[in-house]
Amino acid sequence: MMKSTHKLQTELIVAGYESKKILHGIDVVIPNNQVNVIIGPNACGKSTLLKTMARLIKPIAGDVILDGKSIHKIPPKKLAKVLGVLPQSPVAPEGISVADLVGRGRFPHQSLLSGWSEKDYQAVEEAMDMMGITELANRHLDELSGGQRQRVWIAMALAQQTDILFLDEPTTFLDITYQVEILDLLTDLNRKYGTTIVMVLHDINLAARYADYIFALRKGELIAEGRPSEIITDELIKEIFELNCTVIEDPVSKSPMIVPRGRYHVFT
Amino acid sequence: MNSNVAKRPVGHKRSYYAAIMIIFFLLLCVSIIASLVFGSRSVTLDDLMAGLFLSSSDSYAAAVVSERIPRTVFSLLCGGALGVSGALMQAVTRNPLADPSILGVNTGASLFVVIGIAFFNISTAGQYIWLSIVGAVLTAIIVYGIGSMGRTGNTPLKLVLAGAATSAILSSLISAIMLPRSFVMDQFRFWQVGSVGAANWDFIVIFLPFLVSGILLAFIMAPSLNALLLGDEIATGQGVRTGLLTLVSAFTGVILCGAVTALAGPIGFIGLLATHLMRLIFGPDLRLIIPMSAISGASILTIADVLGRLIGSPGEVEAGIITAFIGAPVLILLATKLKVRSL
Repeated sequence: MMKSTHKLQTELIVAGYESKKILHGIDVVIPNNQVNVIIGPNACGKSTLLKTMARLIKPIAGDVILDGKSIHKIPPKKLAKVLGVLPQSPVAPEGISVADLVGRGRFPHQSLLSGWSEKDYQAVEEAMDMMGITELANRHLDELSGGQRQRVWIAMALAQQTDILFLDEPTTFLDITYQVEILDLLTDLNRKYGTTIVMVLHDINLAARYADYIFALRKGELIAEGRPSEIITDELIKEIFELNCTVIEDPVSKSPMIVPRGRYHVFT
Repeated sequence: MNSNVAKRPVGHKRSYYAAIMIIFFLLLCVSIIASLVFGSRSVTLDDLMAGLFLSSSDSYAAAVVSERIPRTVFSLLCGGALGVSGALMQAVTRNPLADPSILGVNTGASLFVVIGIAFFNISTAGQYIWLSIVGAVLTAIIVYGIGSMGRTGNTPLKLVLAGAATSAILSSLISAIMLPRSFVMDQFRFWQVGSVGAANWDFIVIFLPFLVSGILLAFIMAPSLNALLLGDEIATGQGVRTGLLTLVSAFTGVILCGAVTALAGPIGFIGLLATHLMRLIFGPDLRLIIPMSAISGASILTIADVLGRLIGSPGEVEAGIITAFIGAPVLILLATKLKVRSL
């Protein structure tokens, strides 16, 4: 397993619009070689934080620092060899083939005249192999199921061969089977290459199971961060989601698991 | 790891692509020969050879041929420029229906030239080009602005409607300026329907720098535009300066069609026809679509010009009429099968 040595941190990020700020000064250091998950209720700014760290949004104030340098001062193509990002619902040109789309991930590694190198081919083949889509290489993306399509997109991000990979809700709109499958694959990626993963997840229980490290946001502020077993408690969930719940041990993973308490069906 | 060469993303279709390219190259050659041979007075192949290679040949037919040379060269260049312009506009707007004429850009260019001739007495090709480019740029900005209004933002069909509406207004302005000046109607008619019939070597020399720099820029931008087709966010994540790229490629597309319109009038639908054919064959890869659209655009316009000469014989029908006749039905066909997100 390769260890990436990059250091990514944010310095008091304020983002959103002048009139309506979404993030109010977020200061985090992203732990290396870990699966990091950002959680929080809708509109808490988790996606904005991810996009700001992935340089898709320029903060109003504060900065994102990679290895001591502002990411906005690093040449974009050079940065793209370190930071990869998969947005929430990417669009593909009609009729593009799986292999072609995965190959597009090699863009930052190519120059106008260099063409395709052996390394490019290898990266694409490896990415497709890892995501189990080698058999689909010549199929059109439009013909695939949601779960397959998401694996193709992740393979494209993978072919970019970055040490840090951002994913904005990579499991949305997928059946539970595919959600687990995608999270397993991302964990494979982390274990095999030491890729630092930063993602937003909606499902707290899947987040608690798959995350090495969690950032919990509410109304644009960081409320808690740490290992799931250390920070996921009844009180934290109450504070962040305004939801009464009982936290138990996940019988499968031994990680914390929340069981919500509504107004009905409560026997105590 | 699977190292099956057949599954490699680029290269597995190399020979197929090469065959298609050769076919289009041959088609281009055929259209060139047809353009030199056919017209109100058709010539034999012997005359063609004499006209092309014997500068001292004094046969009438050879003279006809050598007169058709600049027209042929000009229509090839215009068609190529319009093809590339269409490919760029489609990529930047992520709209498979974008084309200089459909977005009204070349009508705007035409209007500016007409205004220049009618009110400011401009008369040189150089002046035409600059006025035309200004008109094209302004129209592109206005149409894009109208197309992006409203809650749904900029959708392919809205942009096309904005272009059609703007184009209708601009054409009626062109007519309004032209009609009272019936004494120059013949000179003006050209600005309503494009034609390559007025070509001469001076036109070509003036036009060439715009064409060469535009096409060169388009080639250079093709890989980045490929990334842009995956959306601004993915393109940014892959290291593309999306704002700069969008601006430069939109500008390049508009200038290419502005320069064509200055000298050939508003010839429509070439961009749409040329790029769609290429996308069907090569898939959504602009590194292939852009150069091949130049070749197919050149062939299509040249063939349209030849058809116009044959149909209208002994006079001629403007190439712009022919391209509209072929292009409009294709537009309707494409619009009906258009999905919400395409391209």
